[in-house]
Amino acid sequence: MSAAPPPSSGRELANPPSDGISNLRFSNHSDHLLVSSWDKTVRLYDAGANVLKGEFVHGGPVLDCCFHDDSSGFSACADHTVRRYVFSSGKEDILGRHDAPVRCVEYSYAAGQVITGSWDKTLKCWDPRGASGPDRTLVGTYQQPERVYSLSLVGHHLVVATAGRRVNVYDLRNMSQPEQRRESSLKYQTRCVRCYPNGTGFALSSVEGRVAMEFFDLSEAGQAKKYAFKCHRKSEAGRDTVYPVNAIAFHPIYGTFATGGCDGYVNVWDGNNKKRLYQYSKYPTSIAALSFSRDGRLLAVASSYTFEEGDMPHEPDAIFVRSVNEVEVKPKPKALPTPPP
Amino acid sequence: MTNLPSDQLVQMETTCGSLLYELQVIWDEVGETDAERDKMLLELEQECLEVYRRKVDLANRCRAQLRQAIADAEAQLAAICSAMGERPVHIRQSTQNAGSLKEELKAITPQLEEMQKRKTERWNQFLEVIEQIRKITFEIGPTDYTPAKLVVDESDLSTRKLEELHKQLQCLQKEKSDRLKKVMDHLNSLNLLCDVLGIDFKQTVSDIHPCLDGAEGSKNISNETIQRLASAIEKLREIKLQRMQKLQDLASTMLELWNLMDTPIEEQQLFQNVTLNIAASEDEITEPNTLSIDFLSYVEAEVLRLEQLKASKMKDLVLKKKTELDELRRRTHLVGETNCEAEFAIEAIEAGAIDPSLALEQIEVQISTVKEEAFSRKDILERVEKWLAACEEESWLEEYNRDENRYNAGRGAHLTLKRAEKARALVNKIPAMVDNLAAKITAWEKERGLEFTYDGVRLLSMLEEYTIVRQEKEQERKRQRDQKKLQGQLIAEQEALYGSKPSPSKPQSMKKLPRTSTGVPSRRLSLGGAIMQPPKPDLLHSNKSIRSAKKTDDIDTLSPGRRGLDIAGLPVKKLSFNLVNPPREAETPRKPFAPIVIASNIPSTPTRLTSDETEEENKNNLKTTMAAPPPKTPMTAYIPMQMATTPAPPCLMYEAAATVKAQEAEEYEYSFEERRLALYLTR
Repeated sequence: MSAAPPPSSGRELANPPSDGISNLRFSNHSDHLLVSSWDKTVRLYDAGANVLKGEFVHGGPVLDCCFHDDSSGFSACADHTVRRYVFSSGKEDILGRHDAPVRCVEYSYAAGQVITGSWDKTLKCWDPRGASGPDRTLVGTYQQPERVYSLSLVGHHLVVATAGRRVNVYDLRNMSQPEQRRESSLKYQTRCVRCYPNGTGFALSSVEGRVAMEFFDLSEAGQAKKYAFKCHRKSEAGRDTVYPVNAIAFHPIYGTFATGGCDGYVNVWDGNNKKRLYQYSKYPTSIAALSFSRDGRLLAVASSYTFEEGDMPHEPDAIFVRSVNEVEVKPKPKALPTPPP
Repeated sequence: MTNLPSDQLVQMETTCGSLLYELQVIWDEVGETDAERDKMLLELEQECLEVYRRKVDLANRCRAQLRQAIADAEAQLAAICSAMGERPVHIRQSTQNAGSLKEELKAITPQLEEMQKRKTERWNQFLEVIEQIRKITFEIGPTDYTPAKLVVDESDLSTRKLEELHKQLQCLQKEKSDRLKKVMDHLNSLNLLCDVLGIDFKQTVSDIHPCLDGAEGSKNISNETIQRLASAIEKLREIKLQRMQKLQDLASTMLELWNLMDTPIEEQQLFQNVTLNIAASEDEITEPNTLSIDFLSYVEAEVLRLEQLKASKMKDLVLKKKTELDELRRRTHLVGETNCEAEFAIEAIEAGAIDPSLALEQIEVQISTVKEEAFSRKDILERVEKWLAACEEESWLEEYNRDENRYNAGRGAHLTLKRAEKARALVNKIPAMVDNLAAKITAWEKERGLEFTYDGVRLLSMLEEYTIVRQEKEQERKRQRDQKKLQGQLIAEQEALYGSKPSPSKPQSMKKLPRTSTGVPSRRLSLGGAIMQPPKPDLLHSNKSIRSAKKTDDIDTLSPGRRGLDIAGLPVKKLSFNLVNPPREAETPRKPFAPIVIASNIPSTPTRLTSDETEEENKNNLKTTMAAPPPKTPMTAYIPMQMATTPAPPCLMYEAAATVKAQEAEEYEYSFEERRLALYLTR
């Protein structure tokens, strides 16, 4: 941490992408940040040092990226490819292909597989350890009801959110069919889905300023805990202006989570106590992505117009890395003890 | 000759001799010549020969007769046997039979007699059967009867033939019984029909055939009779149908008249049996005399009476119908022709100038047209009702908003708050409602080629007026806001120059402050130049487009500016207080930043902020950031999540829904990335 008090929005990273930022992720091993962008590049930064360490150019806009380990990563590209990079050598190759732009990519440590979701309505699993070449790496293709919009992993659970508000929950150990086929409890298009770090469920956000907190446990007791709340809205003259919630990121230690919306705000929430903990000052434009560092002390915020209103002149795309204070993310249970039930 | 007793012969010979002796004596006496004597003796012998011959012939003849008799008997027997179809029992056994003819005859005669007896018996049987056949045939069809056909062929008296005849008899008997049954059936139906029609059965039946009349006794079963019975039945059925039709017509007329004139129940019950059968089919009317001529005339008379009554009541009826028509028109908000027409009608009826039934008919026609129209208008009228209700709520809401005390927690305040909430939601829906309604009306008008009137006024124009008024109100409100903004601006300038308090007239505008205003401070003006920076374009744009096309561009420029303005007021004030006045007076009647404290169950309310914190923060900010980059005022307050059950509350959606709906246009969903990619590829 630098000595000078950080600016309110956090430190802006140097050499940001020249077009929209689709996603950014902190590494699980260091403060490296991987950023995918519409300018067809995947960039690797050292967020602590604010240094661009590598840049990989693709055939088309890159819609998602993730780390494998600190030395390599994967990307999902609009040119239908799934690529792998080795950062140190700068080498990249194509792990596989879909029939339509690849929207999401995740790496599962539990399964040792790369999982990609695409607008060709399939989910594909790839084994990166095998010899490269799309024919040898594909482990399985799983048909989805609609185009995949977001996916998230925790442990053995994989949650896939598609168009048409469908949500499939898979067990990575048995991908032949979804463990649960659900419909989003929100009435509008799903933007983002993220699993809780404790593996009990997932949060789902929609374009209508709302987030639903869901649970894998389908029993009555489990489902009784689920709820939804409104957020990223502006109220004026009795009317609400509602913004899509583009990004959700869970704090690795406290289990609280941050949401970023097209209103340019980042809110931090305590899901268990159903409270908002903090709201950061407004960013120049829509929040496209959020990521906490592995120790939860840094929060990377991608402030990048997400074209929710079509092609418009907008603020330049920027990445802010801010330090996270405990007070902003630590849950605060109710002051009074709850009465016995 | 040898059988003759010998003594007789001897006697005879003696007699003959003696006679000869005598004769000779005589001749001797007479002296006859020998020639004479020989001649006489020859004569004597010839005569004797003659006698013998005669006797032999006789015996011959006897024998021939006997033979003939036997032959006859045999022939007869054979004939009989063949006729009866039996083998001849007796075969001429000429060789075998060693017996004499007489014995033969004796043998054959009883056989013949036997056979003859049997033949007679058989013959009798035949006759019997034939007689019966004849009888039945005659009964069945006297005209068909031809005696010649029934001649018994004597040559065929076999049992086979007898059986044939028996079978024939049986057939005929069956036919006879069938016909009899048919006749009885016909008679039954006829009886029923006559009962129902009130016609004399006996008379009818005797017309057909006298014998049918009698309860007992054999009935004529000829074809002709049956036909006549059938045609009689047919005729009566026709009559029954006719009368039934007539009766049912009368009954329905009666019902109409009762309906029209509100006849009391007791009267109606007199004719219960008539009206019960109003929809009956032919088979269902079976009670005696229900279709008799008398009964029909009785009913007819009643109908006539009712009609006369109706005529006398016609005037009343016309009036009644007219009120019905008016009521219908009123309910569908149709204005009929002017009422003076109705008055003319009444006077004319009284004067006898117009046939009341005609007037009634006309009104009936009008009523049915109005009903038709009402049906087609129903949908639109319902919507209009809703819209009017919404307008009422809107005006109530306006009043309510003007009421200063509305947030006071009085009794039932929560109810009015709830109502206000609902009213706001409803008011939001009004433009959509109006558009929808207008679309439906234009469609209806196009289809019908008429204007849709509501109580005489063209509904579309009503809607247009309303929208215009609404727009005007909006503009008025906007103008007021502009004015206030200008005022505020002036005051701010004044304050900047003179450091005076803000005018207390501000509170109203401040009530509309947003809940979160953290971002805005970054746009706060530096105190030096009290010139408003234009709000940053992206904010403007995002506001504008997210709010879609709500006409009012100005509002967007207003609000950030206004916020900035109000906030600009604050630091100034604070500064002045810090410099001049004790901090205690920081409690102004209404702090710009402190939102209103409202019960948290209303979703769109601002959340609670402790004013102390804000104040403190602001003070800190001011001290540190006078000319520095914009201070931060993060929300440190602990804010509960706004939870609500999905679906989204109505107050949300207009703009967001419009955006979302725009996304989901063509009923196909796209995410932002998909659209962005599409745009990207076209570049």
